[in-house]
Amino acid sequence: MTPSSDSFDYEAALAACAADNRDALLQIYNHEGGRLLGVVLRIVRDKAMAEDIVHDTCIKIWTGASGFDPAKGTARGWIYSIARHLALNAVRDGRRNVDLDDDAVSALDDQASLEAWNDMTDSFAWETSHGRITFCLEQLEPARRNCILHAYVDGFSHREIAERLNAPLGTIKAWIKRSLAALRECLT
Amino acid sequence: MLGTLSGRQRRDVQQRLAQEPALRAAVVEWEDRLLPLTALVPAVPPSPRLWPRVIRSLDAMEPVATSAPLASRHGVRDSLCRSLAFWRGLTVAGFTAAAIAMMILPVKFGTPETRFMVVLVAPGDKSPGWVVQARADQRVELIPLGMLQVPADKSLQFWTKADDWKTPVSLGIIQPGERVTVPLDNLPSLQINQLFELTLEPRTGSPTGRPTGPIQFIGRAVQVY
Repeated sequence: MTPSSDSFDYEAALAACAADNRDALLQIYNHEGGRLLGVVLRIVRDKAMAEDIVHDTCIKIWTGASGFDPAKGTARGWIYSIARHLALNAVRDGRRNVDLDDDAVSALDDQASLEAWNDMTDSFAWETSHGRITFCLEQLEPARRNCILHAYVDGFSHREIAERLNAPLGTIKAWIKRSLAALRECLT
Repeated sequence: MLGTLSGRQRRDVQQRLAQEPALRAAVVEWEDRLLPLTALVPAVPPSPRLWPRVIRSLDAMEPVATSAPLASRHGVRDSLCRSLAFWRGLTVAGFTAAAIAMMILPVKFGTPETRFMVVLVAPGDKSPGWVVQARADQRVELIPLGMLQVPADKSLQFWTKADDWKTPVSLGIIQPGERVTVPLDNLPSLQINQLFELTLEPRTGSPTGRPTGPIQFIGRAVQVY
């Protein structure tokens, strides 16, 4: 995927939205709508719900544009965070988390889990490099890297990741925490 | 931001985010860091109906709903004008509808001290003609909703009567189309259901001190606060 997003001025588009320019919102939509829908769809797994969320995202972009402060973050990041937050909220309230208490989870066969982790191959297809994040993620072990990716891309909760990887909840939490720290070091 | 929290935890964090700028800054930093990962997910073309839906929603939004302060100021004025226009448009709608609509107006019209509101309507077709706003400090404001035609040799006189009074008391002669404030110095406090009316009298006013001419508009006070 070519980094065509680099040439689109998101900050200017947001400023134009704040000035009541609907064409600017349309430009954002045309440029980013498909990717936004893809990201949201990956989290909510329902096309109709995903489209509702992209619609709501557009409205929130429109009404929030005047409050956006470019000094505090990128416009593109802001747009995606709106979409992802709406998607995650929709999923968290909808999904019924099986009420595994931590003791039950840690009673899983630790040995078997450990072996499964070692056998794990990357469950994510890697595209060509997208800057430093790819390099930094590759520095992590596959299991830990997949935790981060399941969390961010799939919108899984700690519990869901733990269930999926057949790993203790506490371990997943610790891995994610340490991996994020490692990522931050690598990225700065 | 990562997405790993449960529903309740997300709500807790969202509350904290609203109050803690440092936490907000950290979250924003992470969101920007991880943003390239969105490229891992293939784009999905939206259905052609999605953008028209967005447009319809934007159209449906009131001006006061936008975050721009300038727009919301205009929006309040626009709503006020729309209320007045709605008001003027009421003809056969009836007194009840007018009174209900009146309940909404105080928020924009009256000061916090406003206690009573009166809608004065024509006796026959109940078309509203005046609004009376009675303040707690014993002053009555008479607000015309339109321009009433009064014959040259006549005048419009304003009267009020509480339920337990024997006769109405004159509040003076009113010029049509003008907003008037009338002090109620010599009268007891306003009461619920207090009657207000405008009658057509000779140019210099009623000769008897009581209404003699036909009632042009009439209404009773409704307490709003």
